[in-house]
Amino acid sequence: MTPMTSTLAELVMVAGRPGPDRTRAAAKLMTRLEDSPELLPEILRATHGLAEPRLILGVTGSPGCGKSTLVDSLLCEVRRLHPESAIGVVAVDPSSPFSGGALLGDRVRMMRHATDPRVFVRSLASRGRLGGLSIGTRGVVRVFALLGCELVIIETVGVGQSEIEVVRVADVIAVVLAPGFGDTVQMLKSGVMECGDVYVVNKSDQSGADHLVGRLLSMLAHASGSMDGAPPTPPTLAAPPTPPKVHSTSAVTGEGVGKLLASLDQYVAENADKITERRRHRERDAVQDLLVGEIRARAANALRTNSRLATAVDDVLSGGGGRGVNDVASRVLSVLADATPPPARNTPDVGRP
Amino acid sequence: MTKGPRVLIAKAGLDGHDRGAKYVAQILRDAGYEVIYTGIRRTPEEIVATAVQEDVRAIGLSILSGAHNVLFQRIMDLLGEQRAADILVIAGGTIPDGDVPHLRKLGVAHVFTPGTPGSEIVETFGRLLSTGTPAP
Repeated sequence: MTPMTSTLAELVMVAGRPGPDRTRAAAKLMTRLEDSPELLPEILRATHGLAEPRLILGVTGSPGCGKSTLVDSLLCEVRRLHPESAIGVVAVDPSSPFSGGALLGDRVRMMRHATDPRVFVRSLASRGRLGGLSIGTRGVVRVFALLGCELVIIETVGVGQSEIEVVRVADVIAVVLAPGFGDTVQMLKSGVMECGDVYVVNKSDQSGADHLVGRLLSMLAHASGSMDGAPPTPPTLAAPPTPPKVHSTSAVTGEGVGKLLASLDQYVAENADKITERRRHRERDAVQDLLVGEIRARAANALRTNSRLATAVDDVLSGGGGRGVNDVASRVLSVLADATPPPARNTPDVGRP
Repeated sequence: MTKGPRVLIAKAGLDGHDRGAKYVAQILRDAGYEVIYTGIRRTPEEIVATAVQEDVRAIGLSILSGAHNVLFQRIMDLLGEQRAADILVIAGGTIPDGDVPHLRKLGVAHVFTPGTPGSEIVETFGRLLSTGTPAP
């Protein structure tokens, strides 16, 4: 039995090799990384040089359009085609803003894989966090790499900022839609157009599906400013050419799922280097977010507790003597620079309960 | 936002009466827990595999079919095999009082019999998970 007080390094070692405690160690690691996103750099260091998943696929869309069923269907297809491949799934559900609790029910639709040693499903609650959720998810994906997963699927409900953040951990984002979930104005409002690399119209057996595919194609063509649906020239990183934009599936029957998978496989085969480059870039962004988060927390704490800053807010409000936000912010920073740094929140070689 | 403990609510065997399980899942959610709910007709193997993957502190198993003695034995055996005996097992359902001592001896931490108020369920979960030991 994996002791409750194993260090991060011990858990990494057990999770990274075949053995009776591997799944348990990986699961406990995921809990640590979710609870303490600031551990991300430590896990990255401890797993440096590890082979990464070929593809991290984000799946998002409104509740009820069949995302979990589609993921289940994708799992079946991958298991059939690549019986030796391991797959990891992160299923994110929102936490209640009132109680802080969550009902994590996505995995209900994937239970046929529950005893498959090559499929690992982890349910996460959003916990109302921004930033921390995506960093925690990034840590969980790293543990999937430790388990040797070649494909990782991150499933979220695409309705909030935090869900969109999580899905940015992915290489490719698939937005799932289904007929009967509103008209084109609804599509424009929901931010769908900005989010996806691939669009999947599920429930293709239902009436309205073909019409939805047509509307999507035409909206995508308008969004990019071109008539052939090609994406606009990306401003920053050189983005690899994206896979075909719109797919039609029926997750319940499996129709179209094979084609979707083949298209993703081809995309990965043609763009492996660019995928790796973008992952490194996003990893750096994530660590930078951690740094900024820590600085922000210290600044907020200083404003609340440091006696040298007791009048800071009043100074800004009164505005007298040139004490604008900029000046007071500089004063906060110089107070922070003088202050003794707080103890580090994680000490790598000490056991954590 | 403080995080609540992770628990699994499951139903094993051929029993399809899930109203109770869903009720308990919701009241625990309302008490701040993160509840993984896996629906009806699960095998003990699926339930234990899920509990391990999700790193839950406890499994709440709802059984209204009368098959509790067999199913709980199987669950406890599987948890032992997977070296996960520290995951608490809590029972709920139409379990006769006479069967409770046997289940407790198997290692089940607590048995909720019919008519238990929701508040008592939440309170008991809280007590068990803060101490990590079965109730006397």
